[in-house]
Amino acid sequence: MTKKTARRPVRQTGRRLGWLAAGALLLLLAMLLSLMVGSRSIGPAEALDALLHGGTTDDAYVVRSLRVPRTVIGVMVGVALALAGAVLQGVTRNPIAEPGILGISQGASLGVICAIAFAGVHTLTGYVGFAFAGAAVAAAAVYLFAGTGRGGATPVRLALAGAAMNAFLAALVSGIMITNGRALDEFRFWQVGSISGRGPEVAAQTWPFLLAGLLLVAVMARSLDALALGDDAAKGLGHNVPLMRILGALGATVLTGVAVAAAGPIVFAGLAVPHMARAAVGTDHRWLLPMAALLGPALILIPDVVGRVLFPPSEVPVGVMTALLGVPFLVAIVRRRSAVAA
Amino acid sequence: MRPAGYAAVTAGRAAFLVHRRSAVVAFALAVALGAAVVASLCVGESFVSPVEVVRVLLGQPSPDELVVGTLRLPRLVVGLLVGAAFGLAGALIQTVARNPLASPDIIGVSHGAGAATVAAFTFGITSYAMLPLVSLGGGVAAALLVYVFAWRNGLRATHFVLIGIGFSAAMSSLTRLFMTKGDFLAAEQAKVWLTGSLNGRGYDQAAPLAAVLLLLFVPLLWAARAQRDMSLDDDTATALGVRLGRVRLGLVALGVVLASVATATAGPIDFVALLAPQIVRRLTRGAQIPLLCSALTGALIVVLADLLARRLFAPIELPVGVLTAVVGAPYLLWLIVRSRSGGRV
Repeated sequence: MTKKTARRPVRQTGRRLGWLAAGALLLLLAMLLSLMVGSRSIGPAEALDALLHGGTTDDAYVVRSLRVPRTVIGVMVGVALALAGAVLQGVTRNPIAEPGILGISQGASLGVICAIAFAGVHTLTGYVGFAFAGAAVAAAAVYLFAGTGRGGATPVRLALAGAAMNAFLAALVSGIMITNGRALDEFRFWQVGSISGRGPEVAAQTWPFLLAGLLLVAVMARSLDALALGDDAAKGLGHNVPLMRILGALGATVLTGVAVAAAGPIVFAGLAVPHMARAAVGTDHRWLLPMAALLGPALILIPDVVGRVLFPPSEVPVGVMTALLGVPFLVAIVRRRSAVAA
Repeated sequence: MRPAGYAAVTAGRAAFLVHRRSAVVAFALAVALGAAVVASLCVGESFVSPVEVVRVLLGQPSPDELVVGTLRLPRLVVGLLVGAAFGLAGALIQTVARNPLASPDIIGVSHGAGAATVAAFTFGITSYAMLPLVSLGGGVAAALLVYVFAWRNGLRATHFVLIGIGFSAAMSSLTRLFMTKGDFLAAEQAKVWLTGSLNGRGYDQAAPLAAVLLLLFVPLLWAARAQRDMSLDDDTATALGVRLGRVRLGLVALGVVLASVATATAGPIDFVALLAPQIVRRLTRGAQIPLLCSALTGALIVVLADLLARRLFAPIELPVGVLTAVVGAPYLLWLIVRSRSGGRV
């Protein structure tokens, strides 16, 4: 009996490590595909050769100057959105929490367009601060509106408050774009939610912020486990619940801000990944978060690769792909979980 | 026997029960709408005196006939029809769902109609007679899909709303997908249409909507009666011999058709279908949402919003959909704050 209970955690750890390895493999595969596939197909050997040794061929140029930055940004955005979704789902104990649904991404968009239109900021490092501010204000407002009144922030109220906030912010964004021609011109390319056409400097400028967000979230892992037991239990275990909520929301906001500043609003990317990770490695956030961080980029890069070849010669932006792929998932969650209907 | 607050009106052999307060509200709304119409025709790049506006409207010769009759009137007519259609659609769907959140903007109808219309632009269909049909197809398909996916041992408002929000998001990305696929001209046309604007809309676009409203006049009379049955609780209605399932389906179908065709005409003007019935319900304080009042309120909202949209940042014109969203979304947030739980708001 004692032997069995002692062995179970070991076996569980082994299984989790197996899933993590599978996730890492999937991510590597997705990155390789992202280097190979496009309007100019490049074989795996040539792609790797160009990546490692450079060279002067056309293939090497395409891989090094176009596809590597795109892949790196895809990985960064995927990590950021997946972790933001996982943390939001943990903090709100709400299976459909996601930066896009809650209006946080749209808030970051509004921040960026304000930066372009009113503050005269035109560099990416400049955008990032405004994106954070917009995302933070939107997140706070949505949580405040959904949580006020009797019943607290139920999934339906959060989703509705997010939808209303999305509509409101989208109206402000289009109002500013229409009254400000210069903003329209600069913002248009960015608004679609795409990881193409971003140079290596985008990755170079955003990684410190991504790192800060990652650290914040990593520190939160144990607290998120406690929070899953309920506010009272978490308090009983000695956690400061309001502080945890604020820190968690801050981490998610920073991560969303990074993703939006780099790639524009990409909806639904943070919804499915945490659920998949939970199905694989369980609800322990110390395993869940790394798993989500491996799956997230794969689920950005694979739709992006598919979007490149779906309707040649034009590309389908990755934001469109994730939204279309995310909805069946949302439907499944809503139908399966009785918790959502509460 | 007459319920409290109702008056019997007899005309020949027919007799109606009229909710007195609703009749007063309808009259007041009509007066306000008349004033808004005149104001909307007066104000613009050049100011035209109300006297001249009334002269043009009555068909008398006037020096301002070009500005008022040719430039401003067609746009106003479109606004009136679209607003009335959205107001009716909202009242019908909210009556069935007994929940203000189930308005066509939220459950995916407008976005479905939008995606279908942009697809039509992309594939080169631009005839004003075809667009409403395409849009209707998109709106009905979206509503059906949401309905099917939300159905699980009965229909739950919360499932319906959540899945509707998801579908709306998917439909807007489909819309963007079609915009990236089409050529530049189609994309430009779609972009203007998508923001929900009355700019450049005239009788060509108004005609299909007017025809649909005329065709639906008799079904709407039926709907006004059926609404009273819906205000009973389910058991009472069934005991009285009302076929609830059919009545519900009929009312929702009417609402979806109206919302889709209105969307085809002016693009998705968000939140009018949410706001109008709610305002009416607070004004009339009745058990039902009177359809006439809701139509008048919808028209009033769109005409006033368009007036503001034209003049607020003149000479730049905002799309009217931006203004209705800026007003409507906070109202939705307020509804959420006020609600006791997520399900019934």
